Order: sequence, then structure tokens, then C-alpha cells
Amino acid sequence: MSTRPRSLGGTRPLPTTVLVARREVRMRLRSRVFVGGTIVMTVLVVVGIAAASLLGGKTNLARVGFSGESQALEPTFSASATALGASIVVSDIADVAAGQAQVTAGTLDVLVTGSATAPTAVAKTAVASNIESALSLAAEAARLSDAGLSPEAIASAMALVPVHLLQPPSPRDNENVFASMGLGILLWIALGIYGSQVAQGVVEEKATRIMEILLATIQPSRLLAGKVIGIGLVGLLQLTIVGAAALIAVHVTNVASIPALAVSSILGDIFWFLLGFLLYATAYSAVASLVSRQEEVQGAIAPIAIFQIVGYLLMYATLANPTSPLVIVCSLLPPFAPIVMAVRMASSDVPSWQVGLAVALTTASIVGLTWMAGRVYANAAPRIGTRVRFMDAFRGPRP
Amino acid sequence: MATDRALEIDGISKRYGDVVALQDLTVDIRAGELFGFVGRNGAGKTTTMRVVLGVLTPDAGVVRWLGVPLTFEARRHIGYMPEERGLYPKMRVAEQLMYLGELHGMAGAEAREAALGWLDRFGLADRRDADLQALSLGNQQRVQLAAALVFGPDVLVLDEPFAGLDPVAVDVMAGVLRERATAGVPVIFSSHELELVERLCDRVGIIDHGRMVACGTVDELRAGGRERRWIDSPAAPSDWEIGLPGVRLLRADGSRRLFELDPGVDDQALLQAALATGPVREFALVEPSLGEVFRSVIGEAGA
Repeated sequence: MSTRPRSLGGTRPLPTTVLVARREVRMRLRSRVFVGGTIVMTVLVVVGIAAASLLGGKTNLARVGFSGESQALEPTFSASATALGASIVVSDIADVAAGQAQVTAGTLDVLVTGSATAPTAVAKTAVASNIESALSLAAEAARLSDAGLSPEAIASAMALVPVHLLQPPSPRDNENVFASMGLGILLWIALGIYGSQVAQGVVEEKATRIMEILLATIQPSRLLAGKVIGIGLVGLLQLTIVGAAALIAVHVTNVASIPALAVSSILGDIFWFLLGFLLYATAYSAVASLVSRQEEVQGAIAPIAIFQIVGYLLMYATLANPTSPLVIVCSLLPPFAPIVMAVRMASSDVPSWQVGLAVALTTASIVGLTWMAGRVYANAAPRIGTRVRFMDAFRGPRP
Repeated sequence: MATDRALEIDGISKRYGDVVALQDLTVDIRAGELFGFVGRNGAGKTTTMRVVLGVLTPDAGVVRWLGVPLTFEARRHIGYMPEERGLYPKMRVAEQLMYLGELHGMAGAEAREAALGWLDRFGLADRRDADLQALSLGNQQRVQLAAALVFGPDVLVLDEPFAGLDPVAVDVMAGVLRERATAGVPVIFSSHELELVERLCDRVGIIDHGRMVACGTVDELRAGGRERRWIDSPAAPSDWEIGLPGVRLLRADGSRRLFELDPGVDDQALLQAALATGPVREFALVEPSLGEVFRSVIGEAGA
């Protein structure tokens, strides 16, 4: 209770910046915003991946039932259908009426009736063209067999024309665009949340007037650094949790052939979050330190938030055409690079010099902004009350 | 030792544009001393304290501790309670005090012990895990004082520590301040409650328009003011003119009259003048309260 014995150079357990960062991490990990936000993001990501996997499987799977004599077609039909790229499930149907009922009910896609040489396909609304072709081929083979041709001759007669594609489309292209968009949106949301948390955290200390107590014991630059580091670590942790959940979901549902869901893309997302966060957090902290009330925060950060919104719109331009000059240029420029380059990297191959240039420019901007923000914050933070003009804060204390 | 461990505020001046907030203000606060700072709103008390804490940079002058100008490191050992209270509303009380203790250079365990000790002292032991905003305003104020005390400061600077406290809390706060002063800590605080300042403080400084217009013990301040006498002289006419230079009639209450004497005026001359009118039933020295001293000093300084 009494004055503790102290020597000025004695054991000082933790640097003040670490203390500030530790407080930020503790307070935020405990908050409902973090817990709820992490759960919601994780659920959305896992559901998205599961949906992508289900949709991917469903598009090609056709359930085909054969009744009576037509059951003889099953082996040749299966072979032809596979050759035509259709995924099928073949079953025997004992009763035509029951089979039709199944087609009507939607539990069977195609019912084949009649003889092997003259089958009839019964479907609800339409028969996929490759199923119809496979069935025609099977019936034709049956007729040729009836006409006395040897199986070898039949196979030779029925051989498909080989097709050579110069630019084969990936069957996963659509899924990749969606996954890249998902990553981009996640990144954008995380940058928005944690950037504005820094802004609000800066103003909170002015609004609650604790700033005056803090500044009597800690230098403004260390206070700001601790805050940015602490909030950044929380954001990093959240993205890592969501990213890990995404990787596990990818592994379980086996949609790993989608490039945007590869480990490298998710790591890239986290890397660009770090750069983007440092970029926006320093800018936000500088403008937020100019105001003293929470209601003024949104207005103060609006000029910077506009860059984030433009980045969001550019993300769609990137997905639509990843090689357009506009997209390439914007992916190199610091205010947009964290989102646009991250999406480009997830959705397509980006020349490494472009990635390097974007990283270098963004890092240089972070260094410059940190210098500017430290200066503005140090001058504006103690001035509680009316809004401080940016240039006043930048120039320093009044004479 | 007492004179060595003094907080010296030496000739500080501060302007805000055309407004002079402080003008060559000089005062020493000695170790073991409770120093009360009084003055009207806007007189410069808060500005002075903010300069001491380094939250404001003065245009001129210097603040010394132990004979050397205050460095940032030395300022970290000043306990400060700002005029506008400030703590994190959504942080737990004990955790908050520990955090501030550690920011001031304490080790974790030490900070924890001190935080819990002060909460116990202020009767808030059962609220240690409550968020600050869940506490009543009076209790928040106790936590605010604990925040200034938790790291065992070398100097205490408290802006209006008694504002908004109930009488019991005032006694607890006064007791703690007296105890700290006795332990050798210079304690400076501002207040508008002059009776409290009069009762509590070893010395008082009266500040007006950014200048220290009077400074000393309460008795010294009283001596510097004008003396007053009550005289009850029933035979004196109702329009009695005393006719003595340096003596003014302040108030009449029936046959009782209150006179104010300029410094150096002999009160026996007043008594003789009163006796000349007939019997004198009462001739009493009136000790001016600090409030009266304050008003007279501020009045002189030109309001």
C-alpha cells in the first residue's frame, strides 16, 4: 500500500508498447464482436465451400434406369456415357409404371424402356444431350450386333471422333471465380473491420479522456504502435482461424482442384491483409486522432474509406477480366493493391515482378504513412475538444 | 530533505492565441505538503497542472523536481487526476488499475497487489471484476484516484479530486491525501470548496488570470487580508459616521456593526471612537474565512 521502493533503472518488466498491444488483444478477444464475427465468417466460408463441392458434383450426375429387354444396353451405355463425359448411375427397373412414377417424382432422371434395338427414353422435362447420345450409340451397337457384326467391328464402327482442344476450358473455372471473390470479400471485410477498429480505438481514448493520463506516462508514438500491433494481431488471428477452417473444409470436401482455395492463395490473402491493414490502419489513426468524439469518426475516415470502396469495386473488374490494363495498373498501386492483387493472385497466375512491385510500393507507402501518422497523432492526440485541422497537426505545436 | 524534494514551478507562461492562460506563474510545492490551488473557473489551475504533467508545453518557464527540470521519465512518477475524468469505461476495474500500474513501470504481480490493495482501501474490493461503467459516479471517482495512486507516485497532482464526492468519500479522499503527504509526497490539488481547502491544506495558492496573486498558509493569507471587527454600541446613532481613515463600515445589524480595517490601522482607535458614543457591549475580532480572503484577494486583483 505504501510507496513501493523503486529505482529508476530497476527491473521494468514489459515495454510500454507491448503492454498497450497486450491490452488491445485481451480486450478484443473477449469482445462479442470478435467471437461472433469469427463464428459467422467461419460458418459462411465452410458452407460456401461445401456448397461449391455439392454443386460441382450434381451438375453431371444422371440417374438412368433400364427396364425389361433394354437392360441389355447397360454395359455399352455406361461405356459410351463415360466416354462422352457424363457421370451416371445405372439401375434396373422391374416395372415400367413404377419407373415412370420415379421419373415424375424426380428420383430418376431417365427411364429406358422397350427392346435393346429400339429403346425409348422417358424423362420429365429434358434428357441431357450426352445421355441421349450415349443411349443412341448403345442402341445402334445393339442393332449392328443383331446384324452380325463382331464386337471388334462394332467398336471400330462406333469409334468417336477424337477432339483436340487448343485451349481446353477448366471445368472448375466458375468455381474458381466464386472462390476468388469469396477470398476477396473476406479480405475486404477484415480490412474494413480492423481499420475502423483502429480509428475507433484512437478516438475512444480521446473521447473518454483517458488520453491525458496515458500521455503522461507513454509517448504517443508507442501508444499508437501498440494499438496498431494489437489490433492487427487480433485481425491476423481471426483470418487465420477462418483460413484454417477453409483449408479443412477444402480437404474434407475434396474441391482442392479450385486454385483459389489452395493453401498458397489463403496464405496470400493473409499476407495481403497484413500489408493492407498496416496501410489503412496508419492512415485511419492519423485522421481519427484529429477528432474527439465517436460520432465524428466516420466523417473523419471517409476520405480514406473511399479508397477501400473503390478497391472493392475493382475486385469485380478483376474477376471479370483479370488481364485488363486497368486491373493490372490498380493491382500495383498501394491503396488498391491489397485487395486487387490478392484477388488476381487467387484467380490467375500473376507475373512475379508485378507481385514484387506491388509489395514494394505498398511497403514504401506504409513507411511514409507511419512517419506522417506518428507526427499527426503526436500533435493531435493531446488536443481534446474541437476537431484539429490536419495541417495544424502535421506542422506541429502552435508557436 | 524537505526542501530538496520540492516540485518547483518556475515562471511558466502559456498563451492560447490572444488569451493569456498563465503569466509567469511561480510556486514551490514541498515534500510532505498538501498544497491547495484555488481560483475562479478559467484562472489557470488546470493549465498549470497540465503543464506539470507535460500534456501541455509552456511558452516559457520550467518545472523542476529534485532540482532538475522534469524529464519524461520523471513525469512517469507523477500521479495525475485530470479535470476531465478518464478511464476505459468497458474495462474491468482491477485490470484497468493493473494496466496503469504496469504502464508506469511496475511488474505484473506488483501492479496486481497494488491495484487490489487500493480497491480494498476504497471499499471497492467486491467490484474489482466489474466494468468501470457499471460503477456509480462516486465510485468511478474513487477508481480514478486509485489510478493516480496505484504506482506509488513521487508527486500527486489532482485536479478537483473532491468534486462530486459524498461527505464520507470526501473524508476518505482527504485521509488518503494527508497520508500521502505525511509519507513525503508533495500533493497539489485544486478545489472550489474553500472550507475543505482551509481545513486540509498546509498552504494555499490563489490564482487569478494566470498569475499567483497570493500564496501561503491560511493564517498568512488571513494576515495579508483586512482585519474586521464587530462592534455593538447601542447608544450610537443610526447614522453614526466613524470618521476614522482606513476604516469602513461593511454591515449594520441593529446596534451591531461590522468594520473593515486597512492594514496598519490601530483597532484601539476604533474602540475609542465607539466608546465615545456610549457603552460598548461587544468588540470582537473576526477571523476571515478562506472564502473571504479569496474574495478580497480576487477583488483586488481586478475582476
